[in-house]
Amino acid sequence: MTEKLSVVGKRVPRWRAHDKATGTAKFLADTKLPGMLEGKILFSPHAHAKILKIDTSKAEKLPGVEAVITWEDVPNKLFNPNKLDLILVHPELEFKDTYVLSEKARFVGDRIAAVAAVDAATAQEALELIEVEYEVLPAVFDPMEAMKPGAPKLHDFAENNISVHFDFPVAWGDAEAGFQEADIVVEETFRTAKNHICQFEPCTCMADFGADGRLRIWSPSQHAFLHRRKIAEIFDMPEGMIQWITPHVGGAFGKYGSLSIEPVCVALAKKAGRPIKLELSREEDLFATEPRQRYVSTGKIGLKKDGTITALQEKIIVDGGAYYTHNFSTTAVNMGGFLGLYRCPNVAAEATCVYSNVHPTGGVRGYGNHEGTCMLEQLVDKAADKLGMDPLDLRLKNAKKAGDPSSTGIPMETCSFEEMIKLGAEKIGWKEKRARKKEDGPKRYGIGIGIAMDVSGAQPFNIQHRNAFIKFNEDGSVNLLLNAADLGQNIIGAMAQIAAETLGLNYEDIHVVTGDTDSTLYDIGQHASGGCYQIGNAVINAAEKAKKQLLERAAKKLEAAPEDLEVREGHVYVISDPEKTISVGDVSREAMYNFEGEHLNISGQGSFSPVQNPPPLSAVFTEVEVDIETGEVKVLKILYVADPGRAINPATVEGQLEGAIAQSLGYVLTEEYVSNRETGALESDNLNTYKVPSTLDMPETEVVLYEEPVPSGPFGAKGIAQGAMIAVTPSIANAIYDAVGVFVTDMPATAERILEGLK
Amino acid sequence: MRVLKPFDYFEPGTVKEAAQFLTTHGGKAQVLAGGIDLIPRMRIGKKEADYLVNIRKIPGLETIEASGANGLKFGAMATLHSLEASKAIQDDYPILYKAIHQISSVQAKNMGTAVGNICVATPASDVATALFALGAELTIEGVDGERKESIQKFCVDYGRTSLKENEIVTEVFLPRPPAGTGSAFMNLIRTHADIAKVSIAVAITVRDGVCEKVRIAVGAAAPTVFRAIKTEAALKGQKVTHEAINEAAETAAGETKPITDLRSTAEYRREMTGVLARRAMEKALQQVKA
Amino acid sequence: MKKEIASFKVNDRAHEVLITPNMTLSELLREHLGLTGTKNACGAGECGSCTVLVDGKPILSCSTLAIAVQDKEILCIEGLSRGPELHSLQEAFIDAGAIQCGFCTPGMIMTAKAMLEGNPNPTRDQVKEGLGGNICRCTGYVKIIDAVMGAADTLSKGGK
Repeated sequence: MTEKLSVVGKRVPRWRAHDKATGTAKFLADTKLPGMLEGKILFSPHAHAKILKIDTSKAEKLPGVEAVITWEDVPNKLFNPNKLDLILVHPELEFKDTYVLSEKARFVGDRIAAVAAVDAATAQEALELIEVEYEVLPAVFDPMEAMKPGAPKLHDFAENNISVHFDFPVAWGDAEAGFQEADIVVEETFRTAKNHICQFEPCTCMADFGADGRLRIWSPSQHAFLHRRKIAEIFDMPEGMIQWITPHVGGAFGKYGSLSIEPVCVALAKKAGRPIKLELSREEDLFATEPRQRYVSTGKIGLKKDGTITALQEKIIVDGGAYYTHNFSTTAVNMGGFLGLYRCPNVAAEATCVYSNVHPTGGVRGYGNHEGTCMLEQLVDKAADKLGMDPLDLRLKNAKKAGDPSSTGIPMETCSFEEMIKLGAEKIGWKEKRARKKEDGPKRYGIGIGIAMDVSGAQPFNIQHRNAFIKFNEDGSVNLLLNAADLGQNIIGAMAQIAAETLGLNYEDIHVVTGDTDSTLYDIGQHASGGCYQIGNAVINAAEKAKKQLLERAAKKLEAAPEDLEVREGHVYVISDPEKTISVGDVSREAMYNFEGEHLNISGQGSFSPVQNPPPLSAVFTEVEVDIETGEVKVLKILYVADPGRAINPATVEGQLEGAIAQSLGYVLTEEYVSNRETGALESDNLNTYKVPSTLDMPETEVVLYEEPVPSGPFGAKGIAQGAMIAVTPSIANAIYDAVGVFVTDMPATAERILEGLK
Repeated sequence: MRVLKPFDYFEPGTVKEAAQFLTTHGGKAQVLAGGIDLIPRMRIGKKEADYLVNIRKIPGLETIEASGANGLKFGAMATLHSLEASKAIQDDYPILYKAIHQISSVQAKNMGTAVGNICVATPASDVATALFALGAELTIEGVDGERKESIQKFCVDYGRTSLKENEIVTEVFLPRPPAGTGSAFMNLIRTHADIAKVSIAVAITVRDGVCEKVRIAVGAAAPTVFRAIKTEAALKGQKVTHEAINEAAETAAGETKPITDLRSTAEYRREMTGVLARRAMEKALQQVKA
Repeated sequence: MKKEIASFKVNDRAHEVLITPNMTLSELLREHLGLTGTKNACGAGECGSCTVLVDGKPILSCSTLAIAVQDKEILCIEGLSRGPELHSLQEAFIDAGAIQCGFCTPGMIMTAKAMLEGNPNPTRDQVKEGLGGNICRCTGYVKIIDAVMGAADTLSKGGK
């Protein structure tokens, strides 16, 4: 990639930054429709209960109440809020076990009924007037207990509350033989954190059946088209009768990979015949929308004395909660991360997904790979300890290289783990810091490393299909039409940069149209860090087609062959004679307005279905201070070396990595999703109890972009956002292990747990 | 976000007017100062009120007044921010300054008051912990006139004070620490924006190496903030050696009655009371020496 | 519950609004004055998204009753820019890449504005302290702190 880039690689302002800085960006909570009603959901106060009777008459009589719905008013149809059954190669592993509103409550927060009223206060009051007679059933909160014979059963089809037991579908080698061959074997059982992403905009949705019979849904979905299909299925409508509009999204991180409150909102709109806005409070968002799965997982690694890994094995109990959602898919990705990060000839993994009466879980940033890789990376440090090797050397010994399969099994076009690890080690002073004296009064110091590879989409396990459309305006600017939710990751800005670069225009010349299924082409949605890589290729494809039309028209004007022309900063030039030039606007305008009858709106449709899946790579180094009297961990510094292929907008890429550092910090140290042991109710139900890091909790951070463009990527880019936490988390855990020898198996690693470990 | 349930609102012009209103409406009225605790709790239904009595317009309640050798007074509407910014508090009552300064939210400090904080009667109040160690005395006014009470008598139980329904706290007095006093405030937190798992404030007066006077206040380790009375008694009159301090720290840990909640465990709180008490005493003694 | 017509001064403009005592300042701004730049992310006074300035001081509008600020000067994000002309902090947030999802941004900028008025040349640590009550879930704060440092620099050189 030696060509000179003029827009790609520049730190241009993100898409709609101006609106967000001035407060004019409209999020759903900021929006009102004429005649709109406010909706509220009645959530179950019981962890497990059958509804014997619901009396909604008092609520219905309250002035201002326009609709009340219960399980009797919604389609008698099971669905899975996770969209993957629509695009997964193993759809039979995605169970449907959820109703829009349920006759049986399976966790504290299950959806029982909903009301729509003229304002929020009336809706709130109406909820209190709904009389529900429950038969409270025995509940089970622990997956181990839930699997025992005689435990309370959540779903009829799931014997012993086991929804599915499966082996890693694409294992290789012979794990048993691999462990036989090993000189040492390290085995540990981990209990990962059930952490909530706590995106800042509380979950909100609007729905309206228009006079034309079409349903309009406004929701910050990551998958407008797939979620539209889900709604169409649940409510038995043709997809074309639904328009899905994605507004500004106040953070997602995987959360809107599931349908959340949209089905309830649609059912209310249907009953009321009016537009509905349904807005969760922070408390409701935390208890009624999906946190991560908790994995109780036993990982095993076998190695030769020289550090060569001979076998890896993982046995997982998935504490997935009351509904299935993403249990299979996140767990399969967990296995991919655990088994596929290093060169290893023999691997195996199995998992048992278990229901219990706790909050159902979903897909959150890192999507299983975060947890799987973290366990592996910690085991590697323990193994290094046992072998008397520097953990850095052990990694270098087993690190994958270009041509090796990535964790998805596809051979990698590039892979410079070795160079990245060495660069980071040099920068942070690894050797000196590993060797230094680690004590100062009650303080102990440590340094740790974690590496990770993630994905640029879900090829080859999911259908991956993207489209983009480009059309020129009279002035030479273009509209770029695509369906990509800007979740904060600035996918739109990056796509505009790619379009501008390909077309030879300026960044400001690209006007993006997005977030509307009526006016954009199909897209599978924002998941698995696939946006930049996959949509970027579709945008290039669209831009090249439009550019071809542009050059053909310009060629006539300039009396040259199209292949002899180039476009720069909004002008077409004859390469051999740059004096001969015409503005793109003149070409575009003339194509629309001429009397010769050869009319054309210069445009192009681009599509992309990937063959490759180049993994973004991370190597993270963390320094910590641990107080051995209090167990408190203070993270002093984090150095993040990342290979995003090419950073389309370096500020955006750095922002993803810096944000992920904060989220990992919370995951490892403070974010504990705590449910009451007796009732199953969420106790950490707001930001005063669920503690995410503030400015004062942040360590010194440094981000280094190690850009190695991949041939298959748009200008060499790979995905970056989803995988950004994965290496940070184990680097912190490993630094703690280095400082005080406490091997963190239970996250978050609170001061209490560290102190316990020190005893 | 939930909507606040309906209530009526009153802004008295004098303490007497406030007290009369509270008398008329009994337990159905709540006094509103900064609102940082009350309003969020009303929003989630953990607190109910038919009437809110906002005391912001009562003259004089915002003052902070250093009265020479005696000590310092501040009113019920003195915000945490104004106390933090007070030169007199920074110089003469550094543990109060520190307890306030480490509160991360600038907004909460602009709105919240120290008196409001005390009246919530949470055991996890860092500000109250500092005030316990400073020997704060409260002025309480009602329709029948005023009374004075020490802060430790005022905080009766978890969430409960000695305040009658028709009384308000109008003023806090802090006696000036005698020469030879060192002090320290320390706490353990999950994130900087959290309330403490355990907090300790110590003020110790030493003459010729002997502990003449000591207050050790412990937060978040019992139903209320409390003074470690046994520990104080054991230290008083003793030479402040390492051994004496270590022993005192252990005694202090024994005086806790902690619970396990989502912030921490009872065992941890008890043990950390000892660690922090030791560290705080050592730090306070270093100050004396300096 | 009593209803009354109350006067407010928001962003230098006078407004008369029919209010009830249980109306919070954030509801007044968002629901009644159409000033939806101020956000509610927690309703518990924990996140700082709802920060506006009352008499120049940053406060939490979700935990402030509208009725209690009738006689005060209220400034929210919409009052910071004058038409197309942005405040230096807004420019700096855009240029530094300090915005991701943008939900915390208005509160963050308002808090930063008050901080810079009190301390025009802060250190990085002072900026961290000053923003300690504003939570951001996306950025890890690095570029937010960069932006505030940059704006301080612009402002101290006479920028707006």
